[in-house]
Order: sequence, then C-alpha cells, then structure tokens
Amino acid sequence: MEGLIIALFVCLVLLIITKYLSWPVIPFYIIAGIALGASGLNLVQVSESSTFFSELGLIFLLFFMGLEIKPDRILSNQKTFFSSGLIDLNINMLIGFLAAYIIGFTLTESLVIAAAFFISSTAMTVASLVENKKLMMREAETIVWMMVFEDIVLIIFLTLLSTSINNPLGFIGKIAVILLAFYIISHYGKKLIQKAINRDDELPVFLTFAAVVIIAFGSKAIGVPETLMVIAFGTALASTDPAAFEAQARPFKDVFLIIFFVFFGISVDFSGGVPVMLIVALSILAIISKLVSGLLIGKVVHGSKGSGIEIWVNTIGRGEFSIALAALYGSPVVSSAIAAMVIITSIVGSFSAKYSGPLQDLFTRGRKGDPDQVPAGSGETIS
Amino acid sequence: MALRSINFPGIGTKYELVTEKDDTIAIFFLKNGNIQMYTLPHDGQTPCVAELTTAEARRLGTIMTGAIMEADKESVEIAFSALSDLRISIHTYVIGKSMAGRCIEDHQIRAKTGVTIIAVSRGDTNIVNPPPSFMFQEGDAVVAIGETDQLKTFEREFMVG
Repeated sequence: MEGLIIALFVCLVLLIITKYLSWPVIPFYIIAGIALGASGLNLVQVSESSTFFSELGLIFLLFFMGLEIKPDRILSNQKTFFSSGLIDLNINMLIGFLAAYIIGFTLTESLVIAAAFFISSTAMTVASLVENKKLMMREAETIVWMMVFEDIVLIIFLTLLSTSINNPLGFIGKIAVILLAFYIISHYGKKLIQKAINRDDELPVFLTFAAVVIIAFGSKAIGVPETLMVIAFGTALASTDPAAFEAQARPFKDVFLIIFFVFFGISVDFSGGVPVMLIVALSILAIISKLVSGLLIGKVVHGSKGSGIEIWVNTIGRGEFSIALAALYGSPVVSSAIAAMVIITSIVGSFSAKYSGPLQDLFTRGRKGDPDQVPAGSGETIS
Repeated sequence: MALRSINFPGIGTKYELVTEKDDTIAIFFLKNGNIQMYTLPHDGQTPCVAELTTAEARRLGTIMTGAIMEADKESVEIAFSALSDLRISIHTYVIGKSMAGRCIEDHQIRAKTGVTIIAVSRGDTNIVNPPPSFMFQEGDAVVAIGETDQLKTFEREFMVG
C-alpha cells in the first residue's frame, strides 16, 4: 500500500507542475513510474490493488472511446476519413512493423509494436489543438477524423489479437449474445436509460461505474475479451445520451488512467535485452514516419505541404492507446520499447505542436514560388 | 451569410459563419464547457482567437443582440401578458457623489419615486435585496425596478445633478 501512496503523491505533484507549464503529462507519469519502479529506485512494486486500479483505468479509457464512436457521423465524412486514415495506417504500420522485425522482435511482437507505432494519442492531439488554438485550421478537422479512424483500427486490432483461442465457435457465440443484449438494452431501454442517467442523485454515477465494471469483469470471467466488450458497450450507449455518460465516466477515467500510466512505468523493465540505442532509434523513426504520412495526407487531402507539416506536428505524440496495447499484449521487452517510444514522441510532439510556425518556415524556406508554400502560423483555413 | 455546424469528435461542436463581407467567424463549443471564438478577416491569413467561459459567452451574446447599450444604462422591460399587460422595467444605474454616503432609507427612494432598489453590485460582490439601512458608496451599480414612469422620476430626482 505504501507504494500506491508514493505513486499517487508523485502523480499529484507532476500533474500540478505540468498543468501549470501546459506540458503533456502522460510521458511524465511513465518517466516517474520508471524512476520509482523496477528499472529505477525500486521504491514501488506492482501490487494487487495497483493492478486492479490500472485495469479500471484501461476499461474506462476504452469505454470512453466507445462512446465517441458514432457510425452515422463517420459515414457522412467518408472521403477525407478514408483517404487520410488509410495513408496514416499503411505508412506507419508498415514502417513500424519492418523496423521492429529488423531489430529482432518476433512476428507477433513486431505486430504489437507496429500498432503502438501507428496509433497517435487522441488525448494529446485534442489537447494540443485546443490549447494551441488551432481548431480553425482546415487541417484540424482532418486530424480529428484521423484519430477516429485510428480508434477503429485499434478495435479491429484488438479483435484480431483476442480471437486466437481454442473454441472459436463458442467464443463468437458468447460475443454475439452479449452484443445482442447491448443492442436490445440500448434500443428498447433508451428512454429508461436517458431518464436514469440524467437524474441528479447518485444513481447516474453509480450506474455508469457499476455497468462498466460489471461488463468488464463479467466478460473476463466468462472468457470474452473485456476490452472489446467495454468498447461495444460504450458504442451501444452512444445512441442514448453519450454526453451524460461521458460526464459520469470522466472522473473514473481521469483518476484510474493516471494510476494505469504510472504503474505501467513501474512495471517496465529495461534489462530486457534490446539495446537502448535501438529503442531510441525506433522512437525517432516513429517521428519521421508520421512526417511521411502527414506530408502525404496534406498533399492528398489539402493539396499543400504546409498542411502536411501541421498534421504531422499534431499527431507525433503516441500515448494512451500505445500503452494500452503494450499493457495488454506486450512482453516485457515490447513494453519497454513502447514506453520509450511514448515518452520520446509525446515530448517531441508537444513542443513541435507549440512551435509549428517556425517549423513550417524551416520546411518551406528557400522555396519561394513553390505553389505549396503556406505562410507561417498556417491560418489558411476554410474556403 | 452561410452558417454551418460541424461535429468534431472528441472536441465539441463547431459553428462557422461567413459574413457578407467574406470574413469568417468560427465558434467552438468545447467539451470542457468553454468556448473558443476565431475570427479571420477575408484578406488575412492568421485567425485571432479568444477563449470564453460560458458566462462570458452569454454576456457577449447579449451585447451582440443589442440589448446592452451602455454599462450604466442597461435596462430590460418585462411584460406579463396574463396579468392585464403588467409591464415592469428593470434598470441599472451607477451611484454618483450626490447619493453616496447615505442609506436607502435616508434617500426615501420608494416614497419619493415608487422605485425599489433590488440589488447592488459593488466591486466583485453582489448584494441582492439590500436592507433600507444599506449605505451607498460612489461607484456602486444598483438595479432598480419599477414602472417606466417611476424610473424616469427616479432618474430626475436622484441621477441628475
């Protein structure tokens, strides 16, 4: 229990400092975790209670993601959605996978690393767009839809990784029954749910907490992947009153996710074998690979290199979903590689997003007459 | 004037307005409750941004609709059509030197004019339903309620000179 106290205290201090400086906080939780844990001072060990809290963080993160997925809205944005999303997916997955495989990871490990390599941090991207006041840029819309695309790829990825089990028929049967139940509840119980979640007593908050936890641990108990079920539950509830559920689930997500991040750091073990230099190289490649995909998306969607730079700087940071993949499927070596990647990319990403103006100048300098050239600050928005 | 609204997943809702003169105004209702307002002139490249709280946005909205002319002359008239067209006006005034230093009772405000002072705003604090012994200070903003004629009398008796 002392471990948890130390970890919470450190997180609190970090949170206050980073909010004051408006830096991204996720990498610092992980750095703090590494410093406190097995690879550092060995002050804090992973315990049963910390594992439980971390698990809650993960399931609330995924539940939240599910709430955001609204199929009808995606279909109304098809063109940009698919072209930017597919470029993002293909380039980054491929580069990530090849790099990991060449470094010497196994096929499955490389696949997990490739997914973590591909998926940018939605939290950091959103925070960077809002805090740096970049919402009006035309690229902002492209970027937020890229994040939705990445979420959907993550769901597909989780599905693929979790179906490799013995009794596929029974497994699929169980999932089908649960999904059907979600549909029936959210469809026929819509009015009832809307009424319950909007009461002003303790019912809404307990309903949200209990439902998510019951579904997560219940799925686990009957051998169905809890990650997918929690996302599916969120998506089902998105047709009732997603804003109210988000408001109720947010405190749980915020609190437990911090514990999840710091204890992920604590569990990371850098003595795993892959040289640190290679891990750093992989992280730098993760930054370059988003530059390549960003430039291509800028060219295809907006016809401008400046747009590509803007997309790049806002999507460099890998974060919560990469860590989630590592925690769910990563071996110790994979986890340490992903931890390093998250730390490096998110710190670089947050600073590059802040100073995207000078960065654009750097990339477009000396190319006057280039039709691609966009002024710094990139206010070239809306037509 | 073209207005469109777009949903930004994870961020909020965007409203975008292109004015007749081709300037663009974009307003984002963020998930955290705040509002970001961007304006981009038609010949400009870089938008200007202001971030507002809900209260500030509401205030800005009131100003935009033309309800507020001057800070010390804010006034609203309410008509209750069910009560044989009862009309009540609410008006704000700023207390000058001549009224400062004495209380509501000393001034005999209600007896002389029929107007009731229902609130006083002093610095950052608001006093609703001040007692008759409430002492005015110079610079207090007061909210007075009454019929339009009564308010006119109040202005003549107390606000002039």
